[in-house]
Amino acid sequence: MPDTIPAPALPVGHYGYDQVDRAFLADRVEQFRDQVARRIAGTLSEDEFKPLRLMNGLYLQLHAYMLRVAIPYGVLDSRQMRELAHIARTYDRDYGHFTTRQNLQFNWIRLEDTPDILARLADVDMHAIQTSGNCIRNVTCDQFAGAAQDELVDPRVHAEILRQWSTLHPEFTFLPRKFKIAISGSPNDRVAARFHDIGLVAKPAPDGGTQFDVFVGGGMGRTPIVGVHLRDDLPEEDLLAYLEAMVRVYNEYGRRDNIYKARIKILVQALGTEGYRQKVDAEFASMNRARYRLPPETVAAIRARFGTPDLNAPDDAAAQFDRARRADPAFDRWVRTNTHPHRAPGYISAVISLKPAGGIPGDATSAQMDTVADLADRYAFGEIRVTHMQNLVLGHVRQDELHALWQALRAADLASANIGLIGDIIACPGLDYCALANARSIPIAQKLGARFASPELQETIGPIEIKISGCINACGHHHAGHIGILGVDKKGEEFFQLTLGGSPGSDASVGQILGPALPEDATVDAIARLVDAYLVHRTGGERFLDTYRRLGAALFKDAVYATA
Amino acid sequence: MSDVRNNRREAGGSSVITANRLLDGRIVWQVAEGDWSPMIKDARIIPNAEIEAAIAQAAARQQADGLVGVYGVQIESDEAAPTPVTVRERIRAFGPTVHPDFTPAAELEAHA
Repeated sequence: MPDTIPAPALPVGHYGYDQVDRAFLADRVEQFRDQVARRIAGTLSEDEFKPLRLMNGLYLQLHAYMLRVAIPYGVLDSRQMRELAHIARTYDRDYGHFTTRQNLQFNWIRLEDTPDILARLADVDMHAIQTSGNCIRNVTCDQFAGAAQDELVDPRVHAEILRQWSTLHPEFTFLPRKFKIAISGSPNDRVAARFHDIGLVAKPAPDGGTQFDVFVGGGMGRTPIVGVHLRDDLPEEDLLAYLEAMVRVYNEYGRRDNIYKARIKILVQALGTEGYRQKVDAEFASMNRARYRLPPETVAAIRARFGTPDLNAPDDAAAQFDRARRADPAFDRWVRTNTHPHRAPGYISAVISLKPAGGIPGDATSAQMDTVADLADRYAFGEIRVTHMQNLVLGHVRQDELHALWQALRAADLASANIGLIGDIIACPGLDYCALANARSIPIAQKLGARFASPELQETIGPIEIKISGCINACGHHHAGHIGILGVDKKGEEFFQLTLGGSPGSDASVGQILGPALPEDATVDAIARLVDAYLVHRTGGERFLDTYRRLGAALFKDAVYATA
Repeated sequence: MSDVRNNRREAGGSSVITANRLLDGRIVWQVAEGDWSPMIKDARIIPNAEIEAAIAQAAARQQADGLVGVYGVQIESDEAAPTPVTVRERIRAFGPTVHPDFTPAAELEAHA
């Protein structure tokens, strides 16, 4: 193995805190420590304390407190990952759960430990602020940002600017409902931009600068809607002003009388795209634009707080990589599924699957987190990305070192070759952990993962996205699954409703309900029949989604319900 | 807790009272006034006709008892040991189904 790559002064891939950031976090931890002490002493009631703990990411779930830690735009450094592993080992049950919002959740936290945990997080420039509540949540980002061959603009600097703009924003602390923003810089949507309250796609402007496509009013939950395209030419200098106007209009006109109609998607549908656009434009026109202007110097100053990887692969990196692929079929299979083309010659991005066959999607043990941190230091400039698909990415790996990385991953049970295949299932925590859930998600994912464990079978089936939610809040993104599975409660028992044809990408679509919900013990078999029907009827290189779109639901309905 | 699912009870039948501990959030079941156990098998069984009053009494002293979110859970009438009627409450009582080591019974054994 090569020596560890020397760490740059600033973290690669994310903003490096300064003393102002650190002093703020330290104050915030002590503020929460006092609040927890008052709650335990009884001077704060649960009703008074609940909004305070939620604003610090602390939920009371089914079995214990759950702490949701923010991972801004899904980027961690190895030091932060090791701290998460330490917290899991010391304060939780030796594991953490990576979420569909690129965050990490600890499921077994004690209230009285929380201030100490937040202090430890603050020591590595992390926190849990705005991971709950009706505020602007963690801004999510393309997991291949700054690395992808197809990327036009690296969106992470703008994600950081949005993080700073939205953190403790005084106007947007009590919005009608939570508010989620995703940002990408690639024409190939890997962030589900059209399923977010606001989705941004950065691209080059004609003048050589940066501009944005803006989508608004997308979302899942009880009312799944593909967002509308509001603008294709938002200049970088107006990014904050225009988003301020967009959220202000929502804050003023969004419904507060009905929690199920409070998201911005309902407002956009009610006003119509033009109606909403007019209100935003009017607000935008009335603003002090100079105050909200985002000048190039500010963007450059934020960019300067990001560490930059020194991409310098040997000339024969690609040739060595090709030789390793030819010599090792198992490695070659993993490369086919778990890598993504890099913009720099001799480099590649590697996806670490957190979906072992029969495992819990998104879970990683403390030891695995430490291993990933070590491997990031050795092979990827200490940088780790969390994907909304609940996997991890090492963004900048030398091609000639990928085989060694894969071997190390395999030794840590982190080399499942299933990215984008049927084993790469999104599942929310479901009724095993979540107080909101109606049904369990994880056991269905585990059974499907075991049923389709064979890498050969998965490759034969090809690209297919299964997404499972344990309730209509859709944290498991089931509406955007090629096959979506929604857990429902019927008189206290679990049933599962299937939807087909959803897609989170540039061809975004909402899955359609196939038919009556199925009992838990019939669901996995039904999906196996559905997959069999696809294999019989697909033509050429069709993905499952292509076959569904070509042939419609009837044959799949027959397959699922004929023997049910 | 205000979750509507916590208040579904039949006129007949029996229930037990549950809550989460304030300090660690863990689930407990009322054994007697002021006495709570992590094991549902220890729970006091209360006829549904009396359950609302018993819940109110337990809720009134929840801060003193170090609890949060007191409510009642209907149980099966034909089981020897208290068994909730809903899958949600069965998971609360017997632990997550995906981690056998994390069930209350396994924890009790580990600490025995």
